[in-house]
Amino acid sequence: MSNAFRPLPAVLLMLCAGFSASALAHNPMCECKAIDAEQIQCTGGFSDGSGAPGVTLDVIGYDETILVPGKLGADSKLTFKKPNAEFYVLFDAGPGHVVEIDQADIQAP
Amino acid sequence: MSLFTAEKPGSRLSRFWHKWRFHINVLLLLVPLGFMPKYFADAALFRGDTGLGEREIGEVQVGPWSLRLAELRNEAPRLDGPAGYMKNFNAALCDSCREQVKATYLRIGKPRSLRAAGVIFFGTPYRMGAMLPIPEKTQADAELWITMEGWDGAMHQASIPLSQASPATLEWLNKQGGKP
Repeated sequence: MSNAFRPLPAVLLMLCAGFSASALAHNPMCECKAIDAEQIQCTGGFSDGSGAPGVTLDVIGYDETILVPGKLGADSKLTFKKPNAEFYVLFDAGPGHVVEIDQADIQAP
Repeated sequence: MSLFTAEKPGSRLSRFWHKWRFHINVLLLLVPLGFMPKYFADAALFRGDTGLGEREIGEVQVGPWSLRLAELRNEAPRLDGPAGYMKNFNAALCDSCREQVKATYLRIGKPRSLRAAGVIFFGTPYRMGAMLPIPEKTQADAELWITMEGWDGAMHQASIPLSQASPATLEWLNKQGGKP
């Protein structure tokens, strides 16, 4: 057996101890894309990797009328028909846990 | 074969190591000392001993109420995985409004509605925290909007320029080169 001092494991151990940073927060995330000319699909989730089945996702007009009241399905997705009026998508996981997506930020198919 | 066979004399380095290895290992105890200044600075910051945050923004009047706002870290937004860049703000409610304010929200740009008022401050009214997402395409002249909701249903809003709220964020945005 070699008794030589092996610096690599020691350095790795020190780095592990020093950089065990906390990433505990999970922020809401939502992504919408147009799947064809008529339909838009939104996917919700949280930054810790968990999905958001059953979370409210509303499509709201610029005049604050709710055009499509919806909830995400079991696959954390919701597909809806593109409204004629100007709109934004609100992923609402509770007060202060919302994501807004303006229609201008939705990618075309 | 005896257990006490003399080892072959190795190189000078090997002999030095075998003779002093246990003494040298004591030096490892000094390693944590290098991390201590940062550790104690962070502990004081999170406990509030060094104030509300690294950089105090000041008192912001929001309707009849007011709050003291601070950046937790005086630095550019940090990337929080797929959720994008985040910036931490701390706030303390004024003495008279602690009982009256139900919720405080923070958002870049004027909220469209109370439902979309932005991120919510959580924690005690003496020291609340919020993690604000900073979109990469934020304009340099953007404003930070504070929305406060009272237990009586009242809602009050105020805004301060982002340049005043977080010069480090503005510098970061300018360095990004104004994404479309």
